[in-house]
Amino acid sequence: MLTAALVVSDGLGRGFDRAAGAADLPDAIVRFDPEPAGQVAARIAALPDLAAFSLRREFTGVELDAPGHTSENAAVEIIGPGRRGYAIVAGRDLSGRPGEVLVERGLAAAWGMPLGGRIELDGSSPQRVVGFTESPDNVSYPLAGPRVYVAQVGVSVPPGVNLAEIWLRDPHRLDEVLVQARATSYGVHGLRFVTRAGVRVLLDQAAGIVIDLLVALSLIALLTAAVMLAASARAEVQRRLQAIGLRRAVGASRSYLTATQGLEALIVAAPAATIGLIAGTLATYGPTSRLLMMLNEPAPGAALALPLAAAWMAAVAIPVTSAAWPAWRAAGRAPVALLRGAELAAARSRRRASPIRAGLTVLGARLAGARRARLVATATALGSSTGFVLLMLALASALVSLETDPGALGKRYQLTAQLPPAAVGQVRAIPGVQAAAPRYADEAVDSFSLQETIDVIAYPGDHTEFEAPPLLGGSRIARPDEAEVGAGLADALGLVPGSTLAIQLASGGELRLRVAGVVGSLDHDGRVAYVPARALLARDPSASEQLVVRVRPGADLTRVTAALGATAAPAAGATARGVPLVDTLRAILRAVAIVDGLVCLYALIQTCALTVQERRRTLSVIRAVGAGTPAITRLLAGAALALVAPAAAIGIALERWLLGPALARLAAGYATLSLGAGAGAIAAVLAGLVVAATVAVLWVARRAGRESVVSGLAAP
Amino acid sequence: MPVLAASGIIKTVGAGRAARRVLDGVNLEVDAGEVVAVLGRSGSGKSTLLHLLGGLDRPDAGRIVLAGEELTGRRPGALARVRLRHIGFVFQSFHLIEELSGEENVLLPARLPGARRGGERRARRLIDSLGLAEIAGRRPHELSGGEQQRVAIARALVGDPELVLADEPTGNLDQDNGATVLGLLRELGDRAVVIVTHEPEAAAIADRVLRLEDGRLREDADEAMALRESA
Repeated sequence: MLTAALVVSDGLGRGFDRAAGAADLPDAIVRFDPEPAGQVAARIAALPDLAAFSLRREFTGVELDAPGHTSENAAVEIIGPGRRGYAIVAGRDLSGRPGEVLVERGLAAAWGMPLGGRIELDGSSPQRVVGFTESPDNVSYPLAGPRVYVAQVGVSVPPGVNLAEIWLRDPHRLDEVLVQARATSYGVHGLRFVTRAGVRVLLDQAAGIVIDLLVALSLIALLTAAVMLAASARAEVQRRLQAIGLRRAVGASRSYLTATQGLEALIVAAPAATIGLIAGTLATYGPTSRLLMMLNEPAPGAALALPLAAAWMAAVAIPVTSAAWPAWRAAGRAPVALLRGAELAAARSRRRASPIRAGLTVLGARLAGARRARLVATATALGSSTGFVLLMLALASALVSLETDPGALGKRYQLTAQLPPAAVGQVRAIPGVQAAAPRYADEAVDSFSLQETIDVIAYPGDHTEFEAPPLLGGSRIARPDEAEVGAGLADALGLVPGSTLAIQLASGGELRLRVAGVVGSLDHDGRVAYVPARALLARDPSASEQLVVRVRPGADLTRVTAALGATAAPAAGATARGVPLVDTLRAILRAVAIVDGLVCLYALIQTCALTVQERRRTLSVIRAVGAGTPAITRLLAGAALALVAPAAAIGIALERWLLGPALARLAAGYATLSLGAGAGAIAAVLAGLVVAATVAVLWVARRAGRESVVSGLAAP
Repeated sequence: MPVLAASGIIKTVGAGRAARRVLDGVNLEVDAGEVVAVLGRSGSGKSTLLHLLGGLDRPDAGRIVLAGEELTGRRPGALARVRLRHIGFVFQSFHLIEELSGEENVLLPARLPGARRGGERRARRLIDSLGLAEIAGRRPHELSGGEQQRVAIARALVGDPELVLADEPTGNLDQDNGATVLGLLRELGDRAVVIVTHEPEAAAIADRVLRLEDGRLREDADEAMALRESA
């Protein structure tokens, strides 16, 4: 578990810095409508604190063909002289000779493209792939379109540049440089900034959740291991009390006995920790590397060696300390007491006998409960693990829901169609259609400081009839000069009801509206604005349009889709474009959940095994009076139940009232995201606990049944 | 037909050079209602014999037949069933379960799967007849040694066994309590009782006294008579 957490945390937590350093990522990347290179260079050269810049021409929506694969939305950057802003992770950089291209590593991996392979851009003559790149300023294919770099030499392109990469001497001065850049950008249209710091914040937000989860899980696993190992070591020392007493009697020192016990633990712990290290790394390195590749970041590689070595030492130190400490305590007692096999820290319960009649199951529960502190610690650890497994199931369920269910985003339509607004009347007449309306969408940037784009959505009438994200503050749009903004946008720009939203549309026109309300939208991380259609179309008549269709309950969706024609499509969920990312996240969650489940199984087996080990004589007495393996199984089932029942309650409560709400706030503070585990998930986890407990009980009971009754009766 | 019949029992303990044959062809028969005492010095193999007779351990050779059922060669589960239905154990250190009250300790065998019916009723009767009603709700560490051993005897009898095996039943008791416990063992009606002990007082209640020496059982009627007279 510790290793798994380290691999993922290190990969995600430090991946961006590694990638940015290797790629020499610029402090700011500026995109704009094509301008003469000389004119742009002059303006950039006048910026303060400038270290370097390079200018490029970027083409988007390019057709890219490779053997067996094709894409129509590739981005091609024409590379000139100057710093690159990408790392070469295989092959070599462009040499300046014509006919050479670089492709992103993610694209090469997804398409199985070899070095030296050929690709065609917009049907041009084949170009040879000479290297694979990595640059963390954007996610990689397939989360984004393919990205290809081509040398300027030998390429016939229209004049002008539309992309500038800027490096500063002091990156801390980026804000003032951007203000200066905006101030001197008059006449430059379609200006958009992406900053290194902004990309990092976005990635840290997403990675932070995964890392927090894993760190918490590792701590639980460590706590479980520490409790179990300490209990196991205590039981072992208890078993050896007479031997320890004998050695003390013949002159062995306390420290010698402690060291001997510690050494024995070391001999077992060192190979076990090594196996755990290898298993944890194997389980998580692959999915993490795939995720990092999608984020255009390198796998941690050798950088993991030091943290893994530290983890190995921690994994060894816990059992060694757990074994040495009770030995140190025992060896401090009088040899005579030890020779009599005196209890290490016997404290007989002063409780009166329970009114519950003790069958074997109740007896088993009482035996487990005899070590109350341990039972509480183990139940807490097991309950926490259960809570995290529930959380992961809820998270996976939410991911699926967001991916496939438009309703999860507050969308009240099921279908879209690329039809003109004038067709609304005809669409409404289709049998099964309950409502239809034009939906306009545009991409904008904030007029002041936000470097991320904003999704602008508009309906001619009440948008809540088709999209109703919950209102978090203020009111719905009531006037033509009002807007509702997503909480993500409100947070980024400090907007509240009554503020002015000023955004620059794709057309270059500016839209200024009064913020009527703030809504919780999961779309585009909450960076959305709902505006009246008339206001949007007045500034940008070219805003994209489609018809959205709500189907009557019980109507045949397939028939309505067919009636709408070829352009009809189901409404998309939030992550429809990020299916590979979701799959990878699921793989990581699954791997962590499996490790977490193993922690639960380990805790249950250890609890049963410790009950058998510590109460060897009691079990032998029960067997002597006629109990067979089924009776011992029932007794151990009681011990397991004493652990599982409170653990399940702790787990459900923890997930429902602490972990779920906390993660929902972390993941999407800009929207209401329900991460409470459903009845199905709870039932599945409870069933898993029962299965784990059954496996633990049967296994330990079988082993206990093979023990000699006679030697058990003689046990201290 | 005797309740218990053991013949040619051989048992070696330890391994290699430390191996020692503690039972070397032991033969023993005990009838219903008969109390047999096995005397011997420490390490002579008395407890080993008792464990073999009770199906807690397996002999290297020989046969043990209890209530018409052959014990040797049986699987552990089958031996557990035999112990449950036919044998009651009384141990020197009582071996009561600390987490259970006196009454629950008595009831424990009656609640095991496969126990004879009527266990609860027999337990009530035993608790009353052994004078345990006042203390039945107490935990073992709250009871005196004599009380604990009486609870242990009640536990041994709750399954209505044909054979009671007692291993040094008075070893941890004072003289008065020891006498009470021996009196109880003497009055077990038609049950066969085997007591292994090194205390002459315990052997004095027996119908027959056997001495275990050099791995063999030897009956000495004169010694039995002398013990009874001295008691």
